[in-house]
Amino acid sequence: MPKVSYWKVISALTLTVFVFLGCKKGGEPVSDVIKIGTAGPMTGDQSAFGQDQQNGVRLAVEEWNMKGGVLGKKIELLVGDDQHDPKQAVSVANKMVNDGIAGMVGHFNSSCSLPASRIYNEQKIPMITHGSTNPQLTEQNFKGVFRVCGRDDQQGRKAAEFVIDSMKAKSVAILHDKTTYGQGLADEFRKGVEGKVKVTYHGGITQGDKDFSAVLTNVKTGNPDLIYFGGIYPEGGLLVKQARALGIKAPLMGGDGVISEEFLNIAGSDAEGTYVTFAPDVNNIPSAKGFVDTYTRKYGKPGPYSVYAYVAANVLLQGIKDSNSTEGEKISEAVHKMKYEGALGTIEFDDKGDVKVSPYVIWQVKGGKWEQITK
Amino acid sequence: MLLSVFSMFLQQIINGLTVGSVYALIALGYTMVYGILGLINFAHGEIYMIGAYLGVIFFGIFTALGLTATNLPLSIVLTFLLAIVYSSAYGYTIERVAYRPLRHAPRLSPLITALGISIFLQNYVMLSQGAKDKVFPSLISGGVSIGNATVSYLQLIIMLTSLILMTALHFFITKTRLGTAMRATAQDKKMASLLGINVDSVISATFVIGSGLAAAGGVMIAMHYGLINFYMGYVAGLKAFTAAVLGGIGNIPGAMFGGILLGLVESFGAGYISAEYKDVFAFAILILVLIFKPSGLLGESLQEKV
Repeated sequence: MPKVSYWKVISALTLTVFVFLGCKKGGEPVSDVIKIGTAGPMTGDQSAFGQDQQNGVRLAVEEWNMKGGVLGKKIELLVGDDQHDPKQAVSVANKMVNDGIAGMVGHFNSSCSLPASRIYNEQKIPMITHGSTNPQLTEQNFKGVFRVCGRDDQQGRKAAEFVIDSMKAKSVAILHDKTTYGQGLADEFRKGVEGKVKVTYHGGITQGDKDFSAVLTNVKTGNPDLIYFGGIYPEGGLLVKQARALGIKAPLMGGDGVISEEFLNIAGSDAEGTYVTFAPDVNNIPSAKGFVDTYTRKYGKPGPYSVYAYVAANVLLQGIKDSNSTEGEKISEAVHKMKYEGALGTIEFDDKGDVKVSPYVIWQVKGGKWEQITK
Repeated sequence: MLLSVFSMFLQQIINGLTVGSVYALIALGYTMVYGILGLINFAHGEIYMIGAYLGVIFFGIFTALGLTATNLPLSIVLTFLLAIVYSSAYGYTIERVAYRPLRHAPRLSPLITALGISIFLQNYVMLSQGAKDKVFPSLISGGVSIGNATVSYLQLIIMLTSLILMTALHFFITKTRLGTAMRATAQDKKMASLLGINVDSVISATFVIGSGLAAAGGVMIAMHYGLINFYMGYVAGLKAFTAAVLGGIGNIPGAMFGGILLGLVESFGAGYISAEYKDVFAFAILILVLIFKPSGLLGESLQEKV
């Protein structure tokens, strides 16, 4: 008789259990919970944004569950980590669809939201992003794609106006991180300044790189009045720091991807004077006060995107409630009709799924803190 | 105009030398281990990352103890030394636990083990230190201006320290008994052991020295960029491996030369052609060298082994 060792028996049993578990999932989903998903960069260098997102959505779900859930069922939140990698985003999206989510809050990065949106669209699952600002996302004619933030064409235009009218800059250098978001934003900014301000340099850097001294040396020879950066805070912080080390005095201006406490940590005192375009300060919006208080008590100071994630989750759950259904098409229809009153004031969506009003304002680092400097 | 063209050129040289000397420090570890074991130690990049983390941790301890406030230079030097010693211990342990039991296994087994150790160390640091970036406070600011070009004091420190460490290594290898034993082991392990050299301890010493050099690079990079994360060792390890192959893997002066050359190529490529293709230049030159001179640029001395 052949010898059978214990570990073989145990692993065989373990595998069988997994197979049976797998079978159960494949059957008809008879569940007493309604699942919603949220996905974003939960780990990795942009995890600060991912954590803010997760906390915001979680808070919304907890509040709804305290009131008895939605459609008489409890809400279960599934969290996916796309590590701001488009390939990863697609597999997270597929997994979320298989797990039977009624709707998605996210993803965060435009480069992830774009490919993921196609997968949700195939199953007609609504997707409400809280941070993907690339115009392309809502130009795909997908009925179920919404965003509660603005668009980069609006954002780039606002930045260009500020640079021309208020800063009276004569020349700019434009850098981007080659992502859908970063490059898109840099292009929109360039459209806004083209012909009015001299562009001394326009080029890309690699996301995740640490050394930008070569490209900054090139920027320095053009002697621009401002460096515009389309990208996210880790590279933004390193750029401003290394620019100062090379003796470049021009301030940095970025988009909403740069505004973060982490940016201040990375750049230290060199962060001073950096501009970004972002939505108005949540602390000055009266309707957001309740959110800011609860959030601070639970998770600490809200990040720039916490409130957007919170509102996006609320819009989705409200859509489920209004449509009295978990069918994607009906929820999307309800969201389109909705006039949502919440932490960010009144939100209405146009036919594309963009918010009707999206005011961008200018923020600046002053005394080591982000401060809103225009109305 | 001419002046600004010249100072840009000068600035790119400075940028390239800074990055290149760190590549060279890491490349030495690859090349020394390859010279002796014929093993590409893919976990070496992670030692560099661990060195950077240890730098941040020790500096944090000194700040908490109040030493940073009273004596900044001393705390920097101590951080540096402790990180090197601790990382060397990591290097020793990895060799002892992961490679020595496979000393007589087929060549592929230790290679796969090296990849496994690399994945293990990355995840170990991610779980214990968190997935977020860690920030190293900027301690030394300012620099020297040459025309329109600037060398920061930190860049000077990096270049000088690397130069000192590489010179020391060179004398160690050529002049000391242990260095001679290392060269003997690299030429013929069996013969060396017949002549009374303890091959196992020579191999351990190789790992210890290589890890120490990589950790030195890690701490200096942490200070220079001020930002570290658990996967920084991957790309740095790949670049340093490229540098080692460029110079001729197994060849110590070759690794130094390859590192500096790679730094300069990247810097000039990014500065004058396109920053978007910075990594492309590094790997394109590797392909060219492998096609036209497969033994590396300084690879002749490999002849000795035959």
